[in-house]
Amino acid sequence: MGGTFLSVIRRPLDGVFDPRSGLWTSSAGGKVFRRYLSIWNVVLLFAFAVLFYLVIYPMFSIFRASFISPETNLVSLESYQKIFRLPFYLRCLRNSLWVSGLASLLSLLLGIPFAFFTSRFTLPGKSVIKTLATLPLILPTFIGAEAWILLLGRNGLFTKLFQQIGITLPTLYGWQGIVLVFTLQFFPFVFLIVSAAIVSIDSSLEESARNLGANSWRVFRTVTLPIITPSIFGGTLIVFYLSIENFGVPTLIGEDYRVLAVQAYNEFISEMGGNPSMAGAISMILVSITLLVTVMQKYWVERRSYAMSALRPPEIRTLRPFPTLCIWFFCVSLVFLSLFPFLVVIISSVTKTQGPVMYFGQFSLRNLANAIQIAPRPIFNSFFLATAATLMGMIFGLGISYLVVRRQGPGTYLLDILIMLPLIIAGTVLGIALAVTFNKGRIVLTGTWMILVLAYFIRKVPFSIKTTSSVLQQIDISIEEASINLGVPPLRSFLKVVVPLMLPGIMAGAIIMWVTTLAELSSTIVLYYGPWTTMTVQIFQYIGSGDFGPASAYATILIVSVLIPLFILNRVLGKELTATL
Amino acid sequence: MEVKLKEITKSFGSLKAVDRVSLLIEGGEFFTLLGPSGCGKTTLLRVIAGFTSPDTGEIYFKDQKMNHIPPHKRETGMVFQNYALFPQLDVFDNVAYGLRARKLSKADIQFRVSEILKNVQLENLAHRFPNQLSGGQQQRVALARALVIRPKVLLMDEPLSNLDAKLRVNMRQEIRRIQKELGITTLYVTHDQEEAMAISDRITIFNAGQTQQIGTPTEIYFRPANRFVAEFTGSSNLLEVNVISYDPEKGLLQTEFQGDQIWIKSFNKPGDKALTVMLRPEWIKIVETGYEDKTNLFHGEVVSSTFVGFMVKYQVNAFRDKLLTIEVQDPRGYEVKREGEKIPFRFDVERPLIIES
Repeated sequence: MGGTFLSVIRRPLDGVFDPRSGLWTSSAGGKVFRRYLSIWNVVLLFAFAVLFYLVIYPMFSIFRASFISPETNLVSLESYQKIFRLPFYLRCLRNSLWVSGLASLLSLLLGIPFAFFTSRFTLPGKSVIKTLATLPLILPTFIGAEAWILLLGRNGLFTKLFQQIGITLPTLYGWQGIVLVFTLQFFPFVFLIVSAAIVSIDSSLEESARNLGANSWRVFRTVTLPIITPSIFGGTLIVFYLSIENFGVPTLIGEDYRVLAVQAYNEFISEMGGNPSMAGAISMILVSITLLVTVMQKYWVERRSYAMSALRPPEIRTLRPFPTLCIWFFCVSLVFLSLFPFLVVIISSVTKTQGPVMYFGQFSLRNLANAIQIAPRPIFNSFFLATAATLMGMIFGLGISYLVVRRQGPGTYLLDILIMLPLIIAGTVLGIALAVTFNKGRIVLTGTWMILVLAYFIRKVPFSIKTTSSVLQQIDISIEEASINLGVPPLRSFLKVVVPLMLPGIMAGAIIMWVTTLAELSSTIVLYYGPWTTMTVQIFQYIGSGDFGPASAYATILIVSVLIPLFILNRVLGKELTATL
Repeated sequence: MEVKLKEITKSFGSLKAVDRVSLLIEGGEFFTLLGPSGCGKTTLLRVIAGFTSPDTGEIYFKDQKMNHIPPHKRETGMVFQNYALFPQLDVFDNVAYGLRARKLSKADIQFRVSEILKNVQLENLAHRFPNQLSGGQQQRVALARALVIRPKVLLMDEPLSNLDAKLRVNMRQEIRRIQKELGITTLYVTHDQEEAMAISDRITIFNAGQTQQIGTPTEIYFRPANRFVAEFTGSSNLLEVNVISYDPEKGLLQTEFQGDQIWIKSFNKPGDKALTVMLRPEWIKIVETGYEDKTNLFHGEVVSSTFVGFMVKYQVNAFRDKLLTIEVQDPRGYEVKREGEKIPFRFDVERPLIIES
């Protein structure tokens, strides 16, 4: 009945699905047409449609735009030529690579010892240290930038202090400041990933090496290090990726030091209304870099990872007092250095300010009061948009997870790969792509809150899908089959029996999605307009204009809004942050 | 409820899991699918349950064609190997699940669940949760849950394989007892031949997706259709003999094996000159030296002797170089032979079984 093309399409529609083998099989004889479309095929098609309209088509639009000259409207490599010929753009590219590379290297140098010290030796207050060390990951980087500006900026607390004793501190502004913020906020990635790897090494490996005559250094060099090397790469690549796509920090601290992510935005603003050729070209280059990093991650790191579960994790040694004190001091200093600035922000929110001048020591609740009572709109906007995006994400994520885990086939395999696309596209780039796509034609969404929700949704939904899928994979399929066997149709079986078991995972995914959306800046800055200013944009604008008081007020509210749900999550679940990675 | 399978075939890629299988299972019968791991028996069960669609073939529940009826409408009750109890529901709710899906009244549900729980002896644990139950208890909950909906067919996929040996023996009796009481057509999948023989009305031996033999436990054990069945259903000694002559009056076959003569009772003359002959270890008897009847009397040297209490198992090197397994039930202490001993042994002419390879 029909040629091969028809039969390929028909196959998923009229048949019985065998969840255990993961295969769709056509009914015997193939002559009976299903009277209803399987709902999961509808979901699959819908998912592809979403992906197409929110990712593939927008990205294609700017890809195409990059090859069109803004003046002649003809195909040309003009924009790319500018990038690779003009020193200005070449410097942008070089700056991006320099800053990201350096931040990655420093994160490595700090993260590995930290991982080692906390997983192999006894330290007083270790669990507190470890928990605090992961906090910088969730706090928005541009707030970190604000914090350091408050300390080491032109009117910074420390700058002024040192000036009083006659010392001029090196300037924060420029690549130094950017690398500082990135390193201190991203090193926990290296720390977490490497720790997990260290702890998973069965002690028998190192013991047998020792038994064969290797001394401690040789054991470390030939047994431990090779095993954790993939994780080291993995963590470093994550840091590199986050650094190169970051928008807020270079804008605030970089000043004249231009990077690609910021330049893309600048070009977009100046090309607005016209053809975003330069913005497109820069975006494409940025995407190529992040794509390369992701591919490296997949093949270099994951291929070489040794999956093992430690039957006996390596023992924790206690060093003599002096060495213990040294490593304790190292760990505590690092944690302090990365968190202290945020404390400064919180204090600033209750400090008396006048424009860029901070009267530290004098307290006033005026900024906070203003934020909450007189101008709460940004707060409301952020919460509303984050909630809307998260609700969409939860439902969509649940559907996709089910497809990917239970309904395996060529279609869902492709979906699984494509749905991770948003992760390799820098926030500014995606914002630009969506703006370009939806500002004309049939659906005009620019200038509305909907485009923000869609951008957040598509950017963060991979997290929801990852957490939900991994929870679903733990649940044996026989539970679903038992329910079906007892008379409950498949969809209802899933909802009645499996979803309740997935609830912790679903909630974790939702909270992570909500929290990361709340703190999003790079897409928002491209897509927001007037009444829909979010907290992050508001903070960003205040920092830029030097109004650190209001900036800190909103920043503190943002920090609190991010920490409370995660604290609850931690309490209820336990293993939160490592799960997101 | 009679179950009929006609030419069922199911392949996964290039692997033929079920190869043109046809079965007829009588209503109320306890029918076992017995075979080694990976032989396709679980696949066949899942085809009947509706979780897998066969490539070809038809399934009938008492003349009703089931091929296109989805699994939740087939009225089968399945007991999974890992029990698949719903962890968030207690025992009562687990068992009541199917009844609630059928929208029975609260009173009916209460009655039927209590009844079945009493039947499986779990009435005191109605409000425990699965993770608070032992393996045997979980198994009984799974069984109760499948039975309480009064299915047309009960399907059991190696339900006892996760239990320890003694519990397995007790539980299989329980299952058989309940099944007989309720008279439900049951299809049981297992790889344990002792279990299969202990509780089944009929067994089909399965290998590489094909039925090797269908029959009662005694038929399968004493008249294996082929070498595979012979070796799967118990220990067996297999001898390749050559036919010398046949006496139709006495019905005796004279054969030669590694230089010795073996006499076999046979109703007709076999076609081939070379035959495979099977001897179960317990059919070979150890006798005293000087036994008069020399028919099928041979000598061998004990290579190993394993005493397990109710029986001794010997490996005996006999004929030219054939290692035979001999089992002696209830050996008296002083009768246990030691390694190196030379022993005479024999077997009746009726015992050797001619089987196809």
